[in-house]
Amino acid sequence: MTHSSLIGDLIDLNSALKSDRLSDSDEKKQRDRAIGQALQQQRNNPAKQVRGWLDQVRISAWKRDGVQAVQLYHVLCVILVFVGLATGWGLARAVLYYTGNAPINIVNALGLLVLPQIILLLFWLLATIPNSIPLLGSLQSALRFLNPGRLTRHLTRLFPAHSRQSLSLVWDAEYATVLAPATRWLFSFWSQLFSFCFNIGVLLAAFYMIFFSDLAFAWSTTLNIDSTTFHHMLSALSWPWHTLFPDAVPSLELVEISRYYRLEEGSLGNASTASELAVQLGQWWPFLVTAIISYGLIPRLLTLLISWFRFRHHLAHALPRLPGSPELLARMNSPLISTSAPQPESVAEFDAGSGYGPSKSGSYALKCAVIDWSGTGVNAESIAKQLQTMGISSQAFLMAGGTRTTDQDNATIVSLCKLKPEGVAVIVKSWEPPLLEFLDFIHSIREQCNRQQAIIILLWGGRDGVDRRDRETWQLTLRQLKDPDLHIEAMGPVQ
Amino acid sequence: MTTPLFAIVGHPNKGKSSIVSTLAQDESVTISPIPGTTVDNRYYPMVVDGEMLYALVDTPGFQRARAALEWMQKQPGSSVDRANIVRMFVEEHHDDPRFAAECSLLTPILDGAGILYVIDGSRPFGEEYEAEMEILRWTGQPSLALINMIGDSDYSEEWNNALGQYFRIVRIFDAMTADFDRRVQLLLAFGQIREEWRVSLEKAVRILEEEQQRRRKLSAGRIAETISHMITYTCQRRLGEDVAGSEVRNSLQQAYQQELTSMEQQCRSDVEQIYNHKHLERHEPLVQLLDEDLFATQTWLLFGLTQQQLITTGALGGAATGGVIDLAVGGASLFLGAGIGAMIGGVSAWVTTDRIADIKILGLPLGGKQLSIGPMRNINFPYVVLGRALYHHRMIEDRTHAHRGPLELKQQPAWLQTVDTDRRKRLEKIFVKLRRQETLNPDLVDALAEQIQNLMQLSVAPQTIPPRSRVSEKAPLPPGEG
Repeated sequence: MTHSSLIGDLIDLNSALKSDRLSDSDEKKQRDRAIGQALQQQRNNPAKQVRGWLDQVRISAWKRDGVQAVQLYHVLCVILVFVGLATGWGLARAVLYYTGNAPINIVNALGLLVLPQIILLLFWLLATIPNSIPLLGSLQSALRFLNPGRLTRHLTRLFPAHSRQSLSLVWDAEYATVLAPATRWLFSFWSQLFSFCFNIGVLLAAFYMIFFSDLAFAWSTTLNIDSTTFHHMLSALSWPWHTLFPDAVPSLELVEISRYYRLEEGSLGNASTASELAVQLGQWWPFLVTAIISYGLIPRLLTLLISWFRFRHHLAHALPRLPGSPELLARMNSPLISTSAPQPESVAEFDAGSGYGPSKSGSYALKCAVIDWSGTGVNAESIAKQLQTMGISSQAFLMAGGTRTTDQDNATIVSLCKLKPEGVAVIVKSWEPPLLEFLDFIHSIREQCNRQQAIIILLWGGRDGVDRRDRETWQLTLRQLKDPDLHIEAMGPVQ
Repeated sequence: MTTPLFAIVGHPNKGKSSIVSTLAQDESVTISPIPGTTVDNRYYPMVVDGEMLYALVDTPGFQRARAALEWMQKQPGSSVDRANIVRMFVEEHHDDPRFAAECSLLTPILDGAGILYVIDGSRPFGEEYEAEMEILRWTGQPSLALINMIGDSDYSEEWNNALGQYFRIVRIFDAMTADFDRRVQLLLAFGQIREEWRVSLEKAVRILEEEQQRRRKLSAGRIAETISHMITYTCQRRLGEDVAGSEVRNSLQQAYQQELTSMEQQCRSDVEQIYNHKHLERHEPLVQLLDEDLFATQTWLLFGLTQQQLITTGALGGAATGGVIDLAVGGASLFLGAGIGAMIGGVSAWVTTDRIADIKILGLPLGGKQLSIGPMRNINFPYVVLGRALYHHRMIEDRTHAHRGPLELKQQPAWLQTVDTDRRKRLEKIFVKLRRQETLNPDLVDALAEQIQNLMQLSVAPQTIPPRSRVSEKAPLPPGEG
């Protein structure tokens, strides 16, 4: 698993999860659970699981941009390799420039090829250690900000917008909470890649000049440093390799004979013959090359590898944390639970048109027979009083519904017809919806008695009064009868 | 072992569909005030990875129960034949539109479904219920009566007495306000009506509880992520030479507020999705910026360096230069060179930033002023956002799928203040780090999510749910008696 394919998967996963947002959640659950069961052996590795999901899932309108982003990433790495090699080669050629007139100042070479690397290495270490130390945080943020690897992202502007935008996900502020550590290590990886190649370039140039020309080194400084002190400093610098490569540690003798003064066209201490001197001064190169390898190449290789591994680690860590990933993993790893109906519901359609006569609110001037439906239990006297307020005088009180049989209901209708009332008032419990058996009863009255007589449904609300919603239910249901002489009235106020 | 099957039966408009919607967590169930809306049986199986653990059947309400019972009573036979008589009724009236509802609702019962008889306990008992209860008893199937509290009045005692004559178990259940625990308790109660169904139902409950934990975890993660974003969010705008600062301030503040609102609303929608509430309308006051002056003006320089970064860079450069001198004198200066260099570098950068910003190269300035808003420094802000998010989560977690109205998030309980000191300290530690813009560590978001998940377990339900959960159990009555 290389981290470039991780980048591709990260970008593909992000675009897949974005495209998947609009998919039906039930379909997603089924699809992802099936994939999750197929990837059951990777359950303890969420990064592997989401990558496995990525291989298997098919989402409409999902555009896989990962490949282009990975290509761009590779191109950027190749650019950094070439720029690093060229810079290293160029700087080494400039520092080790030697025409034979004056030796190369080893102080100068160390100052340009080794010392900055040590300082930058310290900065790198400072920027990467955990920032639990107070006041270190702002210094670290400045060092991270100054990381030249950051500049690499500006190179993406030279490339087509499509692949640039895909790769920019890695440093997009919107994803900082998830990807910031990976971003930091990507910039570190890029800067260390450049530095490593820079050191390769330096060494290639150095070896080229050592093999194909003669180099003479000396040391020169205005500071009041004698050969012994300078030898001590060099010995300290050579400490890492003094046992492995003792020949690469300059001797005091070499230091003493290599001191160089430019006055009077340059002079060297203890000068012997020119050829002997050239051989002696050339002995500095193992020290210089080992110093570059020890303080440049090897540390940069280490920092490069650390950055590579950390970047890979954080990328893999970010995959299951991308927006939508936790939900995806939950869908994959939890049982597919379905509690809803698999088939759509068939619902009765009701005619919304008005079919019954509107409430007359006290304008009835009728002698009515009164039927108590389903045993409302309302006192006959109080019913009579209520009816009087509506202009209805009660002619007789009859019972129907409830615990009575349908035969008894039919007998009630026969009695009712014999009375020949001007109208029929049926008292019902407003909270009980009108059932079909009630509609049958009304229909039978209409069929068996006077077809034009008014039938008034009196809603009784009990101790709570008539609820507005209950009245609406009655109105909606009775409307289905399309009977213009059917009226609905509430007994008492409507709540 | 047969799969538990439960037929939800009863009078029309007594909340059968609401109960099904709540238990099946299905918003597609039609809940209508018009009686007879449910015309066919509809099955709601709980299937877990292809295995059916139980099924609910939503049935039409009784429409002509008296006539049906009269037909049954006219048939010859003793009380042991009653189940067969009911079967005969269904067979004989299968194509009779008059008894379509009765045939539909009795079919699953005759096929072995347990009976869940639903009544409205907020309305008085009536004699018209007796015929349908008698028919159900004639089927001889195990049964449970559910007193659904639709309205505010309470006639549950009256109903308890009536239902107790027909049903061994009577349970009060409010389909609209029943929280997860009550729903689970009800499922377990279904297991009491037939012993062989208990195992399946217990398994179903265990799976639902695990699912609930997963939902909490996902929600906590989403809320933690949103809070982290909201606390650390900043909005910048560069100030042109001829643009009035007040104009930019207003538009920037508006943009900032909008972005915070948008983050919060997205989080709300995501949490609702996690709980399967797909089409929820929500009414909630917008998050306030707590009247704090959030603005800061700062200088930016080429490559986007801020003044602070430039000062640090200058100090570093100065320290490096001074360090060379320290090195040259073999450390005899006691690193005074690096110290003085850092000071000079830092002060120079501080003094010259504005001047550098004004320099123009080829007509382009090297820098300028920018107005920024955020991150939110008010120490109460994360608690306000967290309180709102937890309140919303609680409302969503407790909201049943029978609820069809908008979600009103008006009153916010102050229970977060009652959280113990240790938890508050842990939260504050995370918020402090977030305020310092240390979101670059995703583990911090995970730590916050963990704290939020703990708070979800602790949070007390808002005082909108009356404590209604009573069960009465009696010895089973033989069919036809009582």
